[in-house]
Amino acid sequence: MKYLNVARWEFMEKVTSKAFLISLLLMPVIIIAFGVLPGVFAMKGDDRTITVGVIDETNSLIEPLALRLEEKYKLPDGRPNYLLRNVGQQESFEAMREKANTMVANDEIEGYFHIPATVFDSGKVEYRSENVGNIRLVERFSRTLEEVVVELRARAQGYDPLEIKQLLTSVDVRSIKVSASGEEKESGFLQTFFSSYIFLMMLMFLVLTSGQLLIRSVVEEKSNRVIEVLISSCSARDLMVGKILGLSGLGIVQVLLWALIGFVVWARFEGIYVEPATLLLSAVYFVLGYLLYSAIFVTVGSPVTTEQEAQQLTSYVSLFLVFPIVLAVPIMQNPNAPLVTALSFVPVLTPAFMVMRMPIQMPPVWEIVGTIGVLTVSVIGMMWVAGKIFRTAILVYGKRPTPRELLRWLRTA
Amino acid sequence: MLSVRNLRKEFDTVVAVDDVSLEVKRGQLFGLLGPNGAGKTTTIRTVLNILYPDAGTITFDGKPFSEEMWNIIGFLPEERGLYRKSKILNTILYFASLKGMSEREAKPVAFRWLERFNLTDRAYAKVEELSKGNQQKIQFIISILHKPQLLILDEPFSGLDPVNQILLKEILLELRKQNIAIVFSTHQMEQAEKLCDEICLINKGRVVLNGSIREVKQRYGKNSVHIEFEGDGGFLKALPYVRKADVYQNYAEIELTDMSKTKELLRSLDDKIELRKFEIVEPSLNSIFIETVRLPASAPAQQQGVMA
Repeated sequence: MKYLNVARWEFMEKVTSKAFLISLLLMPVIIIAFGVLPGVFAMKGDDRTITVGVIDETNSLIEPLALRLEEKYKLPDGRPNYLLRNVGQQESFEAMREKANTMVANDEIEGYFHIPATVFDSGKVEYRSENVGNIRLVERFSRTLEEVVVELRARAQGYDPLEIKQLLTSVDVRSIKVSASGEEKESGFLQTFFSSYIFLMMLMFLVLTSGQLLIRSVVEEKSNRVIEVLISSCSARDLMVGKILGLSGLGIVQVLLWALIGFVVWARFEGIYVEPATLLLSAVYFVLGYLLYSAIFVTVGSPVTTEQEAQQLTSYVSLFLVFPIVLAVPIMQNPNAPLVTALSFVPVLTPAFMVMRMPIQMPPVWEIVGTIGVLTVSVIGMMWVAGKIFRTAILVYGKRPTPRELLRWLRTA
Repeated sequence: MLSVRNLRKEFDTVVAVDDVSLEVKRGQLFGLLGPNGAGKTTTIRTVLNILYPDAGTITFDGKPFSEEMWNIIGFLPEERGLYRKSKILNTILYFASLKGMSEREAKPVAFRWLERFNLTDRAYAKVEELSKGNQQKIQFIISILHKPQLLILDEPFSGLDPVNQILLKEILLELRKQNIAIVFSTHQMEQAEKLCDEICLINKGRVVLNGSIREVKQRYGKNSVHIEFEGDGGFLKALPYVRKADVYQNYAEIELTDMSKTKELLRSLDDKIELRKFEIVEPSLNSIFIETVRLPASAPAQQQGVMA
């Protein structure tokens, strides 16, 4: 029962530490900053009319373009969003360009489009500006220009532009997910993708944060020799189990809080739907996966003596976690490919693979039972190995043990 | 309380502890002595079940190590350290909880000991804010808070100033009165000489001397008497129980065949010389230590034969 004391201590000491509180609060801020702010900036409309220069060598495009732009884009207060300014077409292009560049430099215009006389054949137009990163402006202009040019081309060939427009009406596909029970639920690829992805990210965060804490706490106790007092007060198993429980409690608090923020923020944009069965099974994979990784962290972490070595090892173990994320898109596109099925049975990949696959298409029952079985057996095996290694390794200082020594520890102890 | 028989512990290429046997009773202060690397700490770690012995038995009141032992053993490791960022009281209570004490039980005891060590006002400070000596006191409190029946202290005196050494000594003597078996290792022979009921001197993993201080000194002793007198001391050499006597004008160093003959010697001096000082001279533990440890490798075994 002493593992409860250990768990409580590990949890309380870390949860009240400044470092934890900072990371707890900082992470959502960073997530929001990275995830939301760029969108907010990009979406923010202009609040003043932007003057854009045009060098129209065809002399026939500027007028319909100006009309169309005024029709389509207005500022919130009703004024036109864009004002076109004809730079002129009498002089040579070189002279006009010089003139236009001066206007740009004097901030008279934001930038200018050069529409060559050959535009109807080549379809090439140039935009010059101090700020070529104004994607929205370029995108809007090019779309509008395209419309105008296509219309003029059609008219030249004797077609009715309206007819053409109708002919070109695009097809919009709406995806609807059918669950096993036959229920229908409208769900885009993005929603599914993100609900899988959130689970995966949560697992990764949990494993990484508490795995790192686990290694660090063992390294600390080894370096300050508290470990000797601990081992003369309780069993190594109590110590290991207590640490895993306490620190995962910590990780869960952290992840739940972040997840809550994530869901609230995300639900406002998209809305997420996860089936109860998926949720339940995800939780099973989540817990088993977490235990497996904890055992791995204990095994590789307890022979280590310094923080630096610990850091190094953590990053190697993390690769297993990053691997499924790299494969996320292909997996989601072919959730039942033989290779994906095969990889789902590799214990270190099972949780991530299954959690990703389930919301997209529930894998067959034998696969679910099989993967959970394999995973459970590996968790028990890995815990056994971790216990043995932990017991011996926590008392070894200085040099890192060789693989042969590790094997011997497994046999003895 | 604690009985160690024929303990052996090997590391890769070294035999750290070789055939060590010792016996510690309740209410006894037991000194585990020996030079650096003699195997003291390994012996202690094996007793505490931190390391597993390769051979030999360790029993507590006749029983082998079991989970109950964790709650009745107190331990101060040689290399000190605590959780640096944690609060002192919390740290003490955590270790007490691992020894099976509830927070309610442990808290008043913790404060009593903090007061004893003059650290009450630091109870809520962080460990890293304390000096090294004070951290060591906290660790000592941790080792005794749960009233262990067997207390094992690895070098408890090192790192403490003289005042605190005296305080520690007082506490150890109090604990001994409470019938606790106390084992401590030390290099400081004066401490051991003053405190210990029994000692065990280990060198190169083997026991070279053990027993009560008195026994050890007698066995190892030079059996000599120094006297100061007036008169003619020439007869001293002729006494039957005198092995050797260096007689000077007013002073003589006499080596007896048997220490029990001191009274006879004293009586025989009475009517022959005017005695001013009669002193039974024992070698200090320190000199025994130095002499034993310095002996060539083959000698301790022979010495041990004599002792056993």
